[in-house]
This record gives sequence, C-alpha cells and structure tokens, in this order.
Amino acid sequence: MKVTETMIKKRKVKDRVLQTVTLISSSISVMILIMLFFFIFQKGAGSLSFKLLTDDYWAKNYLLDIPSVQTGTYVKPANLPSASFWSVKYGFAVTDALSHEKQKLILIEYIDPASPLAKMTDASSGPNFGKAQLISVGMQIHKIGYVDINGDTRSAGTIADQNAKTLVDTLDSSALTLNQAYIKTTGGGIRGSIVSTFYLILISLLLAVPIGIMTAIYLNEYAKYNRFTPWLRSSIEMLTGVPSITYGLMGMVVLYPVTALFKASGTSILLGGLTLSVILLPTVIRSTEEALKVVPDNFRDASLSLGANQAQTIFRIVLPSAIPGILSAILLSLGRIIGESAALIYTMGTFVNDSPTVLTGGTSLAVHIWSLMSGEQPNFALASAISIIILIIVLILNISVKLLSGRLRKTWQ
Amino acid sequence: MDKIVRNHINVKSMRRKHLQDVFVKNLFKVMALLSSSVIILIILFILMKGSAPFIPNYKYGTISLPNFLFGTVWRQDAGIYGVGFIVINTILSAFGALLLSFPISVLTALFIVKVAPRKVASVMRTIVELLASIPSVVYGVFAAGTIVAFVRIIGSAMGIVTAGGNSMMAVIMLLAIMIFPTITSLSISAIEAVDPDLELASLALGATETQTHFKVVLSSAKSGIFAGAILGLGRAFGEATAVSMVAGNKLFGPTFNLLDITRTLTSTMLAGLKETTGLDYDIRYSVGIVLMATILISNLLLNYIKNRIGNKV
Repeated sequence: MKVTETMIKKRKVKDRVLQTVTLISSSISVMILIMLFFFIFQKGAGSLSFKLLTDDYWAKNYLLDIPSVQTGTYVKPANLPSASFWSVKYGFAVTDALSHEKQKLILIEYIDPASPLAKMTDASSGPNFGKAQLISVGMQIHKIGYVDINGDTRSAGTIADQNAKTLVDTLDSSALTLNQAYIKTTGGGIRGSIVSTFYLILISLLLAVPIGIMTAIYLNEYAKYNRFTPWLRSSIEMLTGVPSITYGLMGMVVLYPVTALFKASGTSILLGGLTLSVILLPTVIRSTEEALKVVPDNFRDASLSLGANQAQTIFRIVLPSAIPGILSAILLSLGRIIGESAALIYTMGTFVNDSPTVLTGGTSLAVHIWSLMSGEQPNFALASAISIIILIIVLILNISVKLLSGRLRKTWQ
Repeated sequence: MDKIVRNHINVKSMRRKHLQDVFVKNLFKVMALLSSSVIILIILFILMKGSAPFIPNYKYGTISLPNFLFGTVWRQDAGIYGVGFIVINTILSAFGALLLSFPISVLTALFIVKVAPRKVASVMRTIVELLASIPSVVYGVFAAGTIVAFVRIIGSAMGIVTAGGNSMMAVIMLLAIMIFPTITSLSISAIEAVDPDLELASLALGATETQTHFKVVLSSAKSGIFAGAILGLGRAFGEATAVSMVAGNKLFGPTFNLLDITRTLTSTMLAGLKETTGLDYDIRYSVGIVLMATILISNLLLNYIKNRIGNKV
C-alpha cells in the first residue's frame, strides 16, 4: 500500500487530538486543586487569626450582679484605641467586633479599677453564687440591665440590637443604676482541638512507631523464607485496604477494654490514639521495610564478620542507616493522624472539648470540622479556617517527605 | 568446655550477648505476630458483634436477617433496618465514580509519563501527590460548598428541585475526585514499568509516538492500571465523612435518579451516632460487615475481569 500525503496528514491530526485529550484530562486535576484551594481560602481566610488558635470553642456565660454603689465620673485613659467608646458614668470602654460566625459583638476594651463592672458578683445559683467574678478584657457584653428614670428595668447590649456606641450612650444618658450583666467569652476557637490533636499524635506515634519498626525489622532481617512469612506480610498488607470507618468499629470492640483498664469510660482520646496506631501500622511497617531494604548487605556482612551478633548489627548498623526512611514513615503517619476522621468519630466522639485530657473525649482538628459540618447549620467559615490549617500542615509534611526520600535515595548511590 | 576457649574471651559476657540476641529476636517476632494478627482481630470481633442482632435472644430484640439484607427502608426512629437498597446505592455511586475517574486518571498518568515535558511532568506529579494527601474532611467541606452548589444549579436548570444539592451526583463527583490520585499514581507506576523495547519495536514498525502510547504502552500496562482501579474502588466504598456531608441520607428505596438524595453504607454508619449501646449502635457493625463483604466481592469480581483481560495480551 502506498502511503499518501493525506494519510500522513490524517495521522498527524489524530495524534494531535489524542495528545490534547491527555493534556485536557490532566488539566482537570489542576483545576480541581486550584478550585479546592481557592474555595477553602476564600471561605476560611477571614476567620483565620491567632486568636482562633488560642480561644476556647464554647462561649462561657456569666450572669453577674452589679454592686449598687455606682456614683462617680471616671476619667478616660489616654491610651485607649480610637475605635472604642468610653462610658464616663460607669468607667468602662467597649468596641465593636465580629465573631467567627460574623455576628456583631460588643467587646470589653478596658475597665476602670473603681468601676462597678470591676466588682461584680456571680448571680447564677451554684457553688460560686455571690462570689466575686472578675471579667476580663475581650469578653463580650451580651446584656446589661439598668433602671431608667421612670424606675423601669431595661436591657442594653447586643440583646437589644445595640452596638458599642449606642450601648455607652444609653447607659450614660438614661440609666440611673445598673443591676445585672450577662457577659460571655467569645468562643469559636480551636485550642481544645489542637491540644487533643497533640495528645493523639503522641499516643499513636508512641505505639505505632516502635511496634511498626520492630515488625519491619523482623520481616526484613530475621524472617526466613518459609511458608509462614508471606502470610504475615499479606495480613499486614490487608490492613491498608480496610476502610477507616471499620477501624472505628474495631476500636470500640477490641480496644475499648484496654482503655477501660485505665478507667476511661466511653469514647476517649486514648481510645482514638490506640485505634489510630493500628491504622498507622501498615504505613510505618512498609516505609521502614523499604528503608531497610536499601541498606547494602555489605554493611551487615562487615558487622557480622567483625564478631557482632545480629541484634548488635541491627541496632548499630542497619537502623542508623535506615533513619531517613523511618523519619519519612513518621511524617507520613503525622499526615494520616491529622487527616483521619471516620475512625475517630467512633472512638473519640464528636463533642468539641475545650479542656481535653487523655481519658476524656475530644475532637482532633479533622473531627472538629466534621462536627461543624454535620450540624443543622454547617459553619463553613470556621470549617474552612481549620481546613486551611490542616492543608498547610499536610503541605509541609509532604514537602519534607519528598526531601527526605530524595536524601535516602542519594545516600547509597 | 572452658579449656578450649582462649583466655581473653569472656564466656559470661558471650553468653549474655547471645541471650540478648535471642531476646531481641523473639521480641521482634512477637511484635510482628501482633501486627499481623490485628486484621484477624478486626474481622473476628466485627463479625461477632455485627451478627449479634440476628441471633435469637439478642437483648435488644432480634431482627430477621432476610429483612435486614433485602429491606428497602432504613428508619432509625422506627427501628426498621433494611440494608438492601443502601448496598445498591453504594455500588452505584462507587462504580459511577470509577467510571468518571478512570479515563481521566489513566490519561493523566499517560500525560505525566510519556507526553509532558519533564518540568511539567514533575509539577503534575506533585499535584497528584498533593491531591492524595488532602484529608477527606477537607474534600467534604469543599464538596458541601461547591459540588453541591453545582448540582443545585444543574437541577434548577432542568427544572428539578434538589435537596439543596445533596444528591447521588454530588457523591459520585466527590468520590471521583477522591479516587483520582489513587488510580493515577498506580497507573503512573504501571506505565513506567512498561518495557522500553516494546515501544521501540512499535516505533520501528512505523507507528507514531502517540499511536505507540495508546496502543502499546496502555495495553501492556493494563494489569497495573486495573490494580489502581481496584484500589480506587475500595477507597470509594470505604469513604465515610466526606460522603456523609453530601449524601443527604434517604430513608428508603434504591436511588437511580442522579439528582435525588442517596444513602451509602458508610453514611449510614455515621448518621445519628449518639449512644454506644443498643440495637441502633450494634446494627452499625452489621452494616460494617455488609460493607466489607461488598468491597471483597467487587474486588474479586474486578480481579476476575483483570485476569481475563490480562490473559488476552
């Protein structure tokens, strides 16, 4: 058959089309990544601040009695920010602010030591009733009850749709005495979840890394080529295919009795950490084994021929050479811990805990996102802000793993 | 014995060294046994707890196994648990995601390994790795904000009112995105492993590079690519949190309408999780068994297909 000009042309066009198809397919993934980052940053960047990291999630509420001695004029301190408003009659300054959920708040900026607001007592019944309750700068004024000239009790504050300026104006002009205040901390922070995540990292790495490394060493250094060893290997391999929600189920039945020994009741961070350590095992084992495999056999032979036994060879020669691989195993595990959600929902619960301990429930950052999103009104702003934090951590881990594995490859070449 | 050993060799310390060696070896062996027995523990305990509701004298009231397996209604509030339609929904959404993601993933892998210039390829590799490392909750937030809105727009363009965009279509698109990196990275390794001699032979016979890529490279990488598809499907079945955010949790009937809300096995396991005792909790273990069985069966099926296709080459 003779190859004609048109055939060649047709073939060229066809090739071009196919090449373009591959280009388009791969640009889809780029687009998705860009869209994801854009969406998350656009929604979350506004809520991201240092305060977010240090605040509690739940607002604390205080119902406080204001002492009846309230006379006097107070001098405005010179160093107040210009956006704040000063109450001459009661001696405090407030500013406007927005919460994480974009609600208007009135925040306390300054309180004069002689102001009645500085000597309030707890008005809610309980062990603290009647005790002095100090309120601090940064808390929000939800309501201040006052008595006006006619003797009627009225309310000022965010409850009456007021902002900082109108609150101060109302109190200074029409309030004769103040009687009660309802003060809240702002809340909406993720300090508790950060602490829980650290506990989680600590517990799961402490368990998974030693066990994983020992298993990898056994498989790579000790295990004989018999019929039994492939079984070990494949049963560990099977763990990678188990969906993470199944690990959650497993944690509740298999590991719960273990945590019960430590007197943990129900879901706890300890249980979550134990469950996570099982999830991490295959990653740690595989990554360590790969690092052990690239250590040249000459090293082992040299050590053994000098009279060291196998244990000494492993600890002094093989392991130090495999350290970059083990480090990258730890980094990979960190990424997994920070991203894990389904298994932890079962084992740690979804209640955001502001003061988590190892034996109580709490939420990791990922589970915190879940609990924000699974409610009736999903809180996109805060969920995205936490997502940004997670994305940044994951990004850093990824880059570090890449650098490490690059070094590992270089070492033996 | 002592007499044959040279004076400068300390027998005691030698023995200690030997004991140490044996101890270390056995310790490592125990740890290896521990790590590999975990999978058995998982299967055993979940089977035990998950089968409890069907065994007579179950303390929260036995439910019948056929009703559970083939039921088409799931209502926690009424105590009706039928998992049949959920299995169908799960299979539909997972295979739908695979259908959507598979061609894109394979073509992307081909682009990265064969078509793209080296710099572009390394950027693309990093992007695939990044997509793989993004946690599922973050995908969930993304999907609940954008994919759902997209579905809502499509729905209103077709004159259909969707449940705020929560739908099977949203689940399929989300899962397709989430399994994309898995399939792509396995396809990349499969394509990289193709013998260069094969390509050279094809080129020598007069085929163009692109023809070689599509006809020779892809078909010789077939089995590796299929392994990627199987792994991706496993992830699609097991994905829980992100799916729950967009599924909508329908109470009955298999969903065949793309724009209708759906319910998957994993979203069922996560929905309304409050107490850790009672039938409503234990039944989640039964759903877990069904999930594992579904994954296992579809893996076997795909493996069978893979072997059939593989043999033809």
